[in-house]
Amino acid sequence: MIDSPRSDLSAADVAASPMLGRVVATERKPNTPHEFHFWTALDSPVGIGTIVRVEGSDPVNGQILQVYGIVVEGFSYTDLQTPLHAMLGHDGTPDGASYGATKRAEIRLYTAAVLRHVPEEPLQPVPMGAVYLAENSDVAIALRMDGYLRPEANTGIPIGVYRAGGTEAAIFLDADFLIGPEAAHLNISGVSGLATKTSAIEWILSSIFAHFPAQKGSVAAVCFNVKGPDLCFLDQPGVIDAADAALYEKCGVPATPFEHVQYFAPYKSDGFSLNTLRSNEALLHNVSPLTWGLREVLQYAEVLLNKDDVDAKADALIDFIRERVVDRDFNDPQLLGNKHYHVRSFADLETWFRDVLSAMEGKNNDGWRTHHVATIRKVRNRLSNISTRCAGLVTDDGAVSDLPFGSFQDRTVYVIDVASLEEDAQDLIFARVVTKLREHLEKRDLGVNHVVVFVDELNKYAPSDGQDTYVRKMLLDLAERGRYLGLVLFSAQQFRSQVHRRVVGNSGSSLYGRMDADELATPGYAVLSPAVKTKLATLEKGQLMVRHPHFTQPIFLRFPRPAIMRGRDGAERYPQAVDVGLDAAVVRSLRTLDPSITLGWVQDAVGLRDEEEIVKARNATLRERPADVRKFFLAQLRPVVAAQPAARPVTSPVRSAPADDPYGF
Amino acid sequence: MTGPAVAVASSAILNTTFESVARRLAGTLPECHTVEGETALELMPAASQPARLISATIVEGTDVRARRISEAPAVGFAAFLDGTQKSRVAAYLPGGVPIVHGTVAAVIRERRDQRMRTWRHAIERRLYVSRVHVSDAVWQTIGAAGLELCDTSDGSVGEVEHPLVLRESAKHRVERDRERAEQRLGTDWCRSEPRPLLIDGGISNAESLAHAQYAIGVVKSHRTLYVSGDALKTVLALDCAERSSVFLVTSPKRASVASWYLRVRDPRGREPMWGLVRVEVASSDASMSEITRRADEVSGWILAESAPVALPDARWDKMVYGVRDCEEFLRAVM
Repeated sequence: MIDSPRSDLSAADVAASPMLGRVVATERKPNTPHEFHFWTALDSPVGIGTIVRVEGSDPVNGQILQVYGIVVEGFSYTDLQTPLHAMLGHDGTPDGASYGATKRAEIRLYTAAVLRHVPEEPLQPVPMGAVYLAENSDVAIALRMDGYLRPEANTGIPIGVYRAGGTEAAIFLDADFLIGPEAAHLNISGVSGLATKTSAIEWILSSIFAHFPAQKGSVAAVCFNVKGPDLCFLDQPGVIDAADAALYEKCGVPATPFEHVQYFAPYKSDGFSLNTLRSNEALLHNVSPLTWGLREVLQYAEVLLNKDDVDAKADALIDFIRERVVDRDFNDPQLLGNKHYHVRSFADLETWFRDVLSAMEGKNNDGWRTHHVATIRKVRNRLSNISTRCAGLVTDDGAVSDLPFGSFQDRTVYVIDVASLEEDAQDLIFARVVTKLREHLEKRDLGVNHVVVFVDELNKYAPSDGQDTYVRKMLLDLAERGRYLGLVLFSAQQFRSQVHRRVVGNSGSSLYGRMDADELATPGYAVLSPAVKTKLATLEKGQLMVRHPHFTQPIFLRFPRPAIMRGRDGAERYPQAVDVGLDAAVVRSLRTLDPSITLGWVQDAVGLRDEEEIVKARNATLRERPADVRKFFLAQLRPVVAAQPAARPVTSPVRSAPADDPYGF
Repeated sequence: MTGPAVAVASSAILNTTFESVARRLAGTLPECHTVEGETALELMPAASQPARLISATIVEGTDVRARRISEAPAVGFAAFLDGTQKSRVAAYLPGGVPIVHGTVAAVIRERRDQRMRTWRHAIERRLYVSRVHVSDAVWQTIGAAGLELCDTSDGSVGEVEHPLVLRESAKHRVERDRERAEQRLGTDWCRSEPRPLLIDGGISNAESLAHAQYAIGVVKSHRTLYVSGDALKTVLALDCAERSSVFLVTSPKRASVASWYLRVRDPRGREPMWGLVRVEVASSDASMSEITRRADEVSGWILAESAPVALPDARWDKMVYGVRDCEEFLRAVM
């Protein structure tokens, strides 16, 4: 409890604050402990979302009550009892048959929702008193930010600036409630096309990186780029205006792009062109391929195989393959004779399946090790199909290029570009990355203490209706238990009502950009007043409504445009590299390690080797990132025996032709 | 003889609302009995004043004629003055002598940028008792209740003891105090503001206002008509935006003022006095043309006040919005 809530202000300061209005209550419209009404002058700067302070006139327990509230509704009316009187007064002619010498008495009456009482006890209805515009210190008290902005224990993360009637106050979220462990997760809703959701997340990540308390350790972010070039240029500077620069300064966040960003993208189906809009050669230095082999995929087979595919029998066979076949020396003398298998890739697995089924057919067996031949055929069909469905991500040869689990860096953003992938591949990436993050955080060996996972289009991955999917279950688990591990979900969607309620319900903090009127009509927004809904439906770019565990009511604020190149601008400035042949693709990749590599050198190096071998050598080089790229790359290629001219064999004619035979026979 | 006003040193800190005073009287005068829920005296039925016709001297021409205000109405009033009163019996002394708690208030609401603001207002609360019907001790005790004490008797020992008569006397004293409060405010305005002030009611009962250039009284009640015969017919037949000729209202107890009738709303389909007001201005020795010009000018100002209408007040046909605004203000502060 704060004894002197405005102790930072001198008496002169308090007295200097102009009175804004007066609390008013009637029997029909009484004040309560959670709501009060006040009137103001017609020209007062009060609006929906304005924070005000009420000073009671009578002390309670020797202390003058102070109540902080936020305006949630406004009324305006005159002394006119019926519109008919106005019509009569103008003789039924709106354009003024008679001139009104006097404007009718008019009132601006506002309803405010209580943010905080000081002192907190006894909790009483809001007293009659004078109403003042909240100043900076008032805003901190009203939103209980004073509890976590203390110099000795500051866990505030600025997320924007509250502005009303000349007051400009930075609004802070409590890191304990944004990143955990007290609460965690952040969800943002808003209509598409205003660049609010993505911009807000980028801005908040910048702010987290700038203000994350040292005592809480390190933090990194993993962002899934699910559409267009939205997150493809996080490390490139963008253009901000003076107003945005002022917001950055007010919040104490440097107006610079992210310093450390790593991009990951699978290959296209050709296996050598990166499937991302950030494929311009100038930006490839921090883009790594994302490829997985059989072992990585098989762990998440259920992501790709729906319930119709994987019944109990099929599940048992997949478990058997995972446990007994993959990455192990496998043989079955009874069925396969002396043949030994070491399955490491989809290609190996296909060979294994083919041999098992051939042997069963040869011996006329319906079953093998309790697995029916039909089940084996079904699982073979489904698994073999994965490498086709997720071509570019899943490699036949088992080569793995992954996120640096175990060596995550503090204040680094890891962007995984899945925008151009099939839904199955997106799901697979999403499931595996999040699961791996969780596993490493559980073991405390990820490299950082906290990871923010940003997922856009949450209504697609965790819909409120439809069948239960692996991804949705995983998101629920993340939302409900992630905060204990330091795994935090930042999610975004257009329609919050279409997202599973347990996912959004577990978001400690929620942001709202401009909302669709239909969405606002759904039950989830019933707690908001009609005026707040109207404001939400008309929010400008750069404005947000924020809900946070410390704030008893939603707050409106402004945030700056991220100091990052916008996706559209980036796509124009750094156009996507055109698809090229294998040699050129290899040059493009290897140049990120050694800029001196030329197309001529690559062509000489690869010669007439087949595509599979060249890709394999390229992938190995990219994985190892050796000091001598040329040497390493060449070492990955099978040596070619130098061509030697064959000696012409000395042949003797079968039969010597007679010297006088003119025809040579 | 008027009873001595009892000085109350502590009045500044005592709560002078009706309820507080009634409670204090009940405590200090055990023999009195208080009343609860009694209606304000102003709302009780009173013997109505008989309607009458009084002849007046015509100063604009020789007979009362209808004169159309041809100029477009122009806004002229800068402020509006009205007052109100409320009196309730706080307690009855043995013998049915009422102790009346009276509140009078008056306000001038100034118009700036078409919005009404309070220029000045006054609220006065007093206790009204018939001095001749109470002992010295009781008079002193009542005086200690925290309010100025006013004697409602005329000083004669044989005054009627009927409680209703005593109550009625008190009401008239309150009414007189209200008129004084209005006059004080109006006089203050006229001394300091060279701008027209519309006063709800006549101005002839206050010398200072009756001679003030900028005080214009607008009378809505017509229990006394200053015309008769053909002149009466002419006045009652006035059309909207027509006025009567100017006449002089004189009375032994009041100052003489120039006056005329003005129809501010279309009377068709209504009773004869619908929208009819009587205007009072300071009389002068000006020429007839000057009298006509002044009457037309002031009439135009009043016609300009026809919007917005003073609805839902029942007297909206005659009441200007500025006066209704004054009444609303006084209702809020009393």
